[in-house]
Formats: sequence, structure tokens, C-alpha cells
Amino acid sequence: MDVLISALSSLVQGFASLTWQSAIMVFLGCLLLYLGIARKFEPLLLVPIGFGIILGNLPLAGLSAYDEGGIINLLYTRGILTELFPCLLFLGLGAMIDFGPMLGNPRVLIFGAAGQFGIFLTLLLALQLGFVRQEAVSIAIIGACDGPTAIYVTTKYARELLPAVSIAAYSYMSLVPIIQPPIMRALTTKKERAILMEPGEKKVSQRVKILFPLVTGIVTILIAPMGAPLMGMLMLGNFMRESGVLERLVNVSESTLTNIVTLFLGLCIGASMLGGNFLRWQTILVFILGLVAIALDTVTGVLLGKLMRVITKGKINPLIGAAGTSAFPMSARVVQKEGQKANPRSFLLFHAVGANAGGQIGSVMAAAVMLAIMSGMGIKPLP
Amino acid sequence: MKDWAFGLTMTVLGMGVTFITLYLLTLLIRLLIKLFPRKEDEESEG
Repeated sequence: MDVLISALSSLVQGFASLTWQSAIMVFLGCLLLYLGIARKFEPLLLVPIGFGIILGNLPLAGLSAYDEGGIINLLYTRGILTELFPCLLFLGLGAMIDFGPMLGNPRVLIFGAAGQFGIFLTLLLALQLGFVRQEAVSIAIIGACDGPTAIYVTTKYARELLPAVSIAAYSYMSLVPIIQPPIMRALTTKKERAILMEPGEKKVSQRVKILFPLVTGIVTILIAPMGAPLMGMLMLGNFMRESGVLERLVNVSESTLTNIVTLFLGLCIGASMLGGNFLRWQTILVFILGLVAIALDTVTGVLLGKLMRVITKGKINPLIGAAGTSAFPMSARVVQKEGQKANPRSFLLFHAVGANAGGQIGSVMAAAVMLAIMSGMGIKPLP
Repeated sequence: MKDWAFGLTMTVLGMGVTFITLYLLTLLIRLLIKLFPRKEDEESEG
């Protein structure tokens, strides 16, 4: 009889160990699965994250990112904590990006810097709200509008915020078409939005396309070596793409490798979202500050666009500035759509894609500079 | 160093270096385009 009771009690142990926080997280995981599958809202990310949340929060399963010896812990420690996954994603991203529109009109690259201003303004806000410096930097980097960069920086300085920061970064990236347009319309007149820009793609030689990632990699890594893993992989991916002789590697990098890493990354992020460390006020603050960061990126980008319009005597449509974030290519599409709403003859996509590609470089550069300054101030990354 | 001084240093240095680097890259791109102009055969290939 005792054996039977003991056997039965072991079977209900899982239910008995379920806390209210775990139950809420399992519900949240199911909600993400619903959004990903039924609403087709970023399914590539939300499905692995949602499933990861469920697996990580089921008691006694040993599948949270922190359960030593578990398979997800293995992926988490080897892929996230070593920063391998974000770097591999950047390799794939480099293989996907065509820097051609930016090379054909290099002045739009400067919008890629303006699109990072929100990072630093949010840093000031986060410090004022009482976050310690490492946490403030990790929250501010959501403004890079770039999931892998946010994960890279947060892993170095504030791992306890990794679930909130990565979810916020990826969610806001996909919400760019909702966040940016009202800000763009509020800061510009219809006349400004209707400005027609010189159409057509100014093409550059293949040699320039091949040399660009090489030169950019060398220069930016020399300036801010802390960002070398991200910038190096981004530029390697693009170099392979433009070299024209590594078609197989490019195909694998931009599809299979990126898909596998996205799956593992999503699973790990989900399994690191445990009720105890996620269900707290700090998480809500991280989400609010992340939204502020991306809104401020858009504001400063459009304001620089307005300044450029004055400098170039009306040749630049200020909407282009909003594409300086690294939400690639969502921001560029938003700019194109808003431009066409104001003037159906307007075609801003080519210029906006250039600014957007600049934003990709700008976001890594801003993160690398932040890491370099932190290191210079003696704030060491986590071991 | 106080928090506001830290934040301000980060903002000024961070944005400054990011702007300067990207501006430097625009100059390098222009240089590359001058050194390696698009050839006629590339024009015809589209």
C-alpha cells in the first residue's frame, strides 16, 4: 500500500510543485503560440519563445535555461552566454543585406547614426529611474532596434534582464510599422512628406561592393574593438555575398544557419523567462523604456532629416531619417508607405533602404562604443 | 563618477564616435567609388 501511495505521489509531484508564477508563465507561453500561429505575428520567433516558456516553467522538467545539465541549459550556456548565437545571426544578416542602395547614395549612411540617439537618451532615463549602470545600458540598447545586438550587450552586463530585453527588442522591431508612422506625421508637414527625391538606383562597381565590408570591418573594429564579434560577422557575411564565389556558404548562412540559430535562440530566451525573474515591475519598466528608445530614435532621425532638407535646399525628404534605425527592412517600408500617402508619385524606398542599412552599421557601432566606454570606465563584463 | 555624469559621458562620446565613424565611412565609400568606378561592361550587364 505504501509503495502504491509513494508511486501515486510521485506522479502528482509535478502538479503539486506548480506555483502561480509558473502557471501564469505557461499561460503566457500559450498566448505567444496563439499569436504566432493564429495571428501570424512573427511566428519564427514567437513559436520557439512560447514553447520555451512552457518547457522552462514546468516544474521538475529540468528544462529551464538555468537547470544545469538540461538540454536547454546546454544551448543557453554554449550559445547565449558565449554570445555565439547573436554573432551567427549577424553572419546570416550580413549575407542577406544588400548595401548597394547605401553605396549608391553614401550620404544616407549618416541617418544610421541619428537613428541611435534614442539609445543614449533612454540610458539617461533608465539611470534616473534607479537602474544600475549595467542594467541601464542593457535596457537602452533596445533602442538599437536589433535583437542580436540587444542580446549581445545584455549578456555581457545584466543577464537577469535578458528575457525582458530580448522580448522587448524583438517585439518592438516587429511593431515598427505601428510605432513610427504617428511620430513621422507629427514631426513633418504634408509638404515635407511629399518631397520627391531623385529616383533610380545609382549603381556602384562590384569591386566597391566587395571592398566595402572589408574596409568597414577593419575601420570600425579598429575604432571600437569591443564590437568586433558582431561587426566582424556582419561584414564577413556581406563579404561572402558580394565576393560572388561562395554561393553555397551564402545560401546556408542566410537561410539554414539563421533559421536554426533563431530556433535555438528563441527556445533559450523562452526557457529563461521564469515566473520568479520575469513577473516583476522591472519588466514593465524595461518594456516602457524600450518603447521610448525606439520612439526617440525615430524622432531624432526625422529631425536630422529636416535639417538635411534645409541643408540640401529641399532635396531630401525628412521621412528618410526614420529609416536610420536598424529594423531592417521594416523601417524602409514604413518610410516608402508614408511618402506615398503624402505624394502618390513619391518613391523613397531606394533611399530608405540605404538609410536602413546604415542603421544596421550604426546600431552595432553605438553598442560597440558603449561597451568600449564601459570598459574604459572599469565596468567589467560578467564572466 | 555620478550617474548623470556617466550617462552624459556615454551620450556625448557614444553619439559623437558613432557619427564620426559613419561620416568617415561615407568618405571611404566616396573614395572607393572614385578609385573603382563602374566599368562599361558592368553598365551593360545592368
